Amino acid sequence: MLQVEKKTIPGEIDVYVLPTEKFKTVLVSVVTRQVLSRELASKTALLPSVLERGSRDYPTYRDLMTRLEELYGAGFSSDVLKKGEKQVLSFSLEVINDLYAPGKELLQQGVSMLQSVIDQPLLENGGFKHMYVEQEKEQLAKEIKGLINDKVNYALERCVQEMCGTEPFGIFKYGSIEELEQITPEHLYNYYRQLMAENPLDIYIVGELNPDEAFKIAEDAFARANGERRREMPPDMVHNIPRDVRYHEEKLPVNQGKLTLGYRTNTTYSDDDYVSLLFYNGILGSFPHSKLFQNVREKASLAYYAFSRLEKHKGIQLIGSGIELQNYKLALEIIMEQVEDIKKGEINREEMENTRRGLINQYKIIADSPYSMLSLSLDGLLGGRQEGVDYYIRKLEEIDVDDVVAAANKVYLDTVYFLRAEEEVKA
Amino acid sequence: MSKLMEWSIQENELLQEKIYHTVLDPGLNLYILPKKGYNKKYAIFSTRFGSIDNHFRVSGNGEEVISVPDGVAHFLEHKLFEDEEGNVFDRFAAYGASTNAFTSFTNTTYLFSCTEFFPENFELLLEFVQSPFFTEESVAKEQGIIQQEIRMYEDNPQWRVYFNLLSILYSSHPVRNDIAGSFESINKITKDILYKCYHTFYHPLNMALFVTGDVSPEQVGAQVAGSLASRTFKPLAGIERFYPTEDETVLQQKITQSLAVSQPIVNIGYKDNYNNLSGRELLQRELTMEILLEMIFGKSESLYNSLYEEGLIDEKFSAGYVAECTYGYTLMGGETRDPEKLHARILEGIEGVRKNGLDEKTFHRHRRKMQGEFLRSFNSLEFIANNYLAYRFRDIDFFEIYSLLGDISMPAVEKMLQEHFQEERHAISIINPV
Repeated sequence: MLQVEKKTIPGEIDVYVLPTEKFKTVLVSVVTRQVLSRELASKTALLPSVLERGSRDYPTYRDLMTRLEELYGAGFSSDVLKKGEKQVLSFSLEVINDLYAPGKELLQQGVSMLQSVIDQPLLENGGFKHMYVEQEKEQLAKEIKGLINDKVNYALERCVQEMCGTEPFGIFKYGSIEELEQITPEHLYNYYRQLMAENPLDIYIVGELNPDEAFKIAEDAFARANGERRREMPPDMVHNIPRDVRYHEEKLPVNQGKLTLGYRTNTTYSDDDYVSLLFYNGILGSFPHSKLFQNVREKASLAYYAFSRLEKHKGIQLIGSGIELQNYKLALEIIMEQVEDIKKGEINREEMENTRRGLINQYKIIADSPYSMLSLSLDGLLGGRQEGVDYYIRKLEEIDVDDVVAAANKVYLDTVYFLRAEEEVKA
Repeated sequence: MSKLMEWSIQENELLQEKIYHTVLDPGLNLYILPKKGYNKKYAIFSTRFGSIDNHFRVSGNGEEVISVPDGVAHFLEHKLFEDEEGNVFDRFAAYGASTNAFTSFTNTTYLFSCTEFFPENFELLLEFVQSPFFTEESVAKEQGIIQQEIRMYEDNPQWRVYFNLLSILYSSHPVRNDIAGSFESINKITKDILYKCYHTFYHPLNMALFVTGDVSPEQVGAQVAGSLASRTFKPLAGIERFYPTEDETVLQQKITQSLAVSQPIVNIGYKDNYNNLSGRELLQRELTMEILLEMIFGKSESLYNSLYEEGLIDEKFSAGYVAECTYGYTLMGGETRDPEKLHARILEGIEGVRKNGLDEKTFHRHRRKMQGEFLRSFNSLEFIANNYLAYRFRDIDFFEIYSLLGDISMPAVEKMLQEHFQEERHAISIINPV
């Protein structure tokens, strides 16, 4: 279904080409990874924003942005994701395919800009430009503090922090203010050089182009001397059977309470029974036909949203719902009951088949978006298990109630977190 | 005897896309954009009924003018997902489809996407949107759910800062009210009100369908024709919507609220002063304003960069223009450490550009960027479908954006620059940390 061509270019860089005729654009993404740790998280997170401020050829942000506009509004983004106990650093460029803008050579020019940002940073006194580092530190600090502005995500993140306080996964994807303050332009640059030389480096190219041509573009821009590059990263700390359920409450001036439950799944993306877990999550809470939506929202009318989601690499499942303060007990009871029901095998045929079709549908549409294609490949890379869409569809077709029950019975409640108002403020 | 369906086919060479259009009895517009090779099929069924349509009359003899509580369009959207046999979500789920709906100020849209069983799913969409079923009990049950949706938005500072701004930018136009209404207004909604609104606004004449993916226009057309033929519709002469006369100036220039946020959040708005615009004229205005805003606030411009370097904005700062038939405004903002200073610097920035004038080369660059972004957006079926109908409802051809952008001239942008940013038509909304 999805064709993937791979080639290793000098510098021990793996280049993946995903040829497809559907899109009007070509997406190029350069990706590196780092182990999540308290010492490095802020540094890693700061890198893309500093690099994006300017390079040797485009010394200011204005120069970079002007260049993108000249390239027919090319899209450029750099990002830090937290996937399991890794930070994933990506630099992506999306240009209109030359087929739709003949003679403009947008891909060639765009990649050359991307290369400039990644490999020719703007330096002074043996470090990144001071002003950029200081300003970006301040922006990132605001970003870290700004988590609270989005209460839905804040509640999920806080639950994870309480749950994994002593594990790397408890670290916020942008690190902490304390670590951020320690960073100097020189140290940051040295760290960047080390990261680019030693950590896995992968390049993805998605679009309508000949793989050989794509490999050549990547090689011309990004090949470098072979060195000490690691090809694998250490695995995440996964298995965990909590002794007791921990309960946390946090009070803030909010109108709606946010109930969040954190579970240990003891199954991850790398495992053979990952698809059973995915199925379990579907029956519980990832669709409108799922038990959570049906029971918390449709039947009890307690919430507008009630969902479950997986952190597939770390082996965590989070349930989130926004409720009135006085409904805390009732909502918690209904949620836990849904989980117990599945563990006991109380799943009807309709729930099984609807979930199966829904999940197969999600895999089939991956090929319709360059970013989804990229994301699937990235999960394969992180999970050390590169499976194609066909593999997942085959597995999903085979799963039965027993598989789901087996996966469900490996799942343990770890933490219940409730974000709530001080007191009942509204009648 | 069924007659052959008449299609008009519109081809865009640059985009390499074709749109098929037909009108089916009793007046439903159907648009199809075949996308070869895509696995996903996406269909939307939209009505021109949004949160601002709270005061209306069916044209004709002796029809009364009706006023309905705020939030009815959104409430109706929720309720259509339930009928005598239960929950519509489950029926789509049985065919592996994912379904949803959204209500804006001006439209309500029902949608699904799927990879298999397209005809079955499409039938479900046609069926559930055309089968209202409301009881007092089901209305009461939905009130609890929508109350929690309202609560969620009460805690969302981005949402609050925006709706607070609209509530002072406008003194009487219903765009100043929340789309979902309030606890008070939704408690006034009854099944009779829902039926009345349904039978007015969900007439095929007031609706449109857009289907995209690897589908055959003939088959889709036949299916829609069959569905419509199985129902009876009263003739609809038209719907008259009434909007209060809106002042040229703003109701109030400043509004603040405190929420649990890390730093202040600001929205600044400029109200436009046209009364009723649609079609190419409206699109021209929208695109001209978008180019102008790019030229003033774009990330390649000096204003954005100095505000960023002073730590007054972050990269999520944005500026945009909204162009609906009965109202239009410019909106800009984001998080900031100092709302007053940012406000002052933005006003100075606009004044500076006004004094110094616009640069031809910059104009061409931004225009080219917008054309490129338009092209790039054609990867997404959802984007194409949702925008196509949202523009269609304003009598605008979405495909025309590219060429019309090319027609917009520097003097037109200059003119907007001189006219648009009037002191008495601007207001600021601030969310402060508690």
